[in-house]
Amino acid sequence: MKTDEIKALERIAVRCRQNVLRMIRANGSGHLGPAYSCIDIVTALYFHGMNIDPKNPKKEDRDIFILSAGHKGMAQYAVLAEAGFFDKGILDTFGHFKSPLPGHPDMHKLPGIEASTGSLGHGLNLACGVALGKRQDGLNSRVFVIIGDGELAEGSNWEAAAIAAYYRLDNLVVFIDNNGLQISGRTKDVMSFEPIAAHFEGFGWATRQIRGNDMAEIVAAIDAVPFEKGKPNLIVANTIKGKGFSKAEDQVGYHYWHPKAEEMALAEKELEDELVGMRA
Amino acid sequence: MKFEMFDAKKIIGDVVAAEADLNQSIVVVSTDSAPRSGLGEFIAKYPDRYYELGIMEQAGIGVAAGLATTGKTPVFCAPAPFTTARPFEMFKIDIGYMRQNVKVIGRNCGFNYSDLGPTHFGLEDIALVRLIPGVTILAPIDASQLKGAMLAMLRHKGPVYLRISTAPLPKIFDDADFEIGKGIIVREGSDVAVITTGEISCNVFEAAEVLAARGISAMVIAMPTVAPIDEELIIKAARQTGRIVTVEEHYVVGGLGSAVCEVCAKSLPVPVRRLGVPMEFLSAGQYMDLIEYCKLDVNGITESIMDFVNHS
Repeated sequence: MKTDEIKALERIAVRCRQNVLRMIRANGSGHLGPAYSCIDIVTALYFHGMNIDPKNPKKEDRDIFILSAGHKGMAQYAVLAEAGFFDKGILDTFGHFKSPLPGHPDMHKLPGIEASTGSLGHGLNLACGVALGKRQDGLNSRVFVIIGDGELAEGSNWEAAAIAAYYRLDNLVVFIDNNGLQISGRTKDVMSFEPIAAHFEGFGWATRQIRGNDMAEIVAAIDAVPFEKGKPNLIVANTIKGKGFSKAEDQVGYHYWHPKAEEMALAEKELEDELVGMRA
Repeated sequence: MKFEMFDAKKIIGDVVAAEADLNQSIVVVSTDSAPRSGLGEFIAKYPDRYYELGIMEQAGIGVAAGLATTGKTPVFCAPAPFTTARPFEMFKIDIGYMRQNVKVIGRNCGFNYSDLGPTHFGLEDIALVRLIPGVTILAPIDASQLKGAMLAMLRHKGPVYLRISTAPLPKIFDDADFEIGKGIIVREGSDVAVITTGEISCNVFEAAEVLAARGISAMVIAMPTVAPIDEELIIKAARQTGRIVTVEEHYVVGGLGSAVCEVCAKSLPVPVRRLGVPMEFLSAGQYMDLIEYCKLDVNGITESIMDFVNHS
């Protein structure tokens, strides 16, 4: 039986997916599949897990979110807009010249963005630095990171995996958005990093596996942090790429989507129907 | 010319330790490199502000940038190729694009690790960092300038790259405030302007004496800031002498010489001869043998300038 909070979070996640469609409509294209696979996690973080204040986005003791897989940026923009960090009208500028919403997030352009990402394999080292800095300042801030499963092939991640364990960063929480797909095909066929959790455990991390599009499981995992005192936290979130649009689910062809009008209309209708169903 | 010699690492360490007493935001990030960078005193005094990562320079830059987002002033010092070429994209994005207040020191630059060969030469660091918008590049010339540059770097808000050899460093200039972005006229002259950066400048100063004895009046400009370059002074030199020679212990492509050419091309085109390291992977060897091969010794510089003055 779902709690009211979980139901509410699920409704918010649908509205965030609508925000993503709004951005794709503005730009004519975008990384639909990656945004949709992680958007439930991002929703849970901003609306349940993180200590943040949309009206005071720089408050000192805030939790920090770093989207290492910057191409999923629409997921973060959608959630920030829904949380009130900025006016939703800005969504209509996505991808436009001088928009605060570039295809990959820029920390100097939009409140709530803590790092400029896009090139893969940067976020976890940055996050280690942030976690160390917050700890040095005696703050209880936590640092949340989303990394793609394909992104794990960037060796810099494994440098950070060692640092986080060595410095016992239990204020660091990493989600692997394990949707199993990357541009050239199935991640397991392109370059497998399975078993992901075991690799991180080998470095000294505490891990969990969840269904990453299941709001109750996401919330339960966030609430269980730190999993073990003195160990960084890894959540392998098994997700579905494109989750939320039937034609895109688990389809690599929707990694970057140039929608035709009919297809966009279908995607919009599916979300409308889902919201109606939730009200029933 | 005989000068008192100083230990560059000691200067680096002394300035960081002293400044860290005043500025609690200063932290040190190390890739198995800080203890050998003269930072031992800082480490002993502030172990909780010292982050040793082991040999991982991509992480070194990334972690430093992450620390900077929390208000820290990270200092990261390691051999020049490993602070620039190796983690270049982290430098570009995490420090440059993110505009973080990180201080990177590329030590043992140029041919300082002469016997270790091309993997350890630092001959393209200026060129690489010059491609990152907003990063200040310092290449102090003597012990006084190193001290001044270190202090200016730590007090400057924004990303800085400082390159330094760690060979014994002469004290040529008086201790004075080091001003980022300003070149210094070391010697006035009318036949040619010689613009130089880093410790190799000492050879230029001597060459200018030899040239004077041969009747060539060389204006000598020390350029310890390569980015942002002192355009005004370059234009003044071009106007005053009508031809420029640049001298650096760096590839002839992308460094000080290129920066000077860019200014001249934009504002006052004059002939420029760039003296530096040819675009080759050179042999390991004794430092002076490499310098002579590149004609960056006093005699080589003198002859090149003579040739330029006589044929331009």
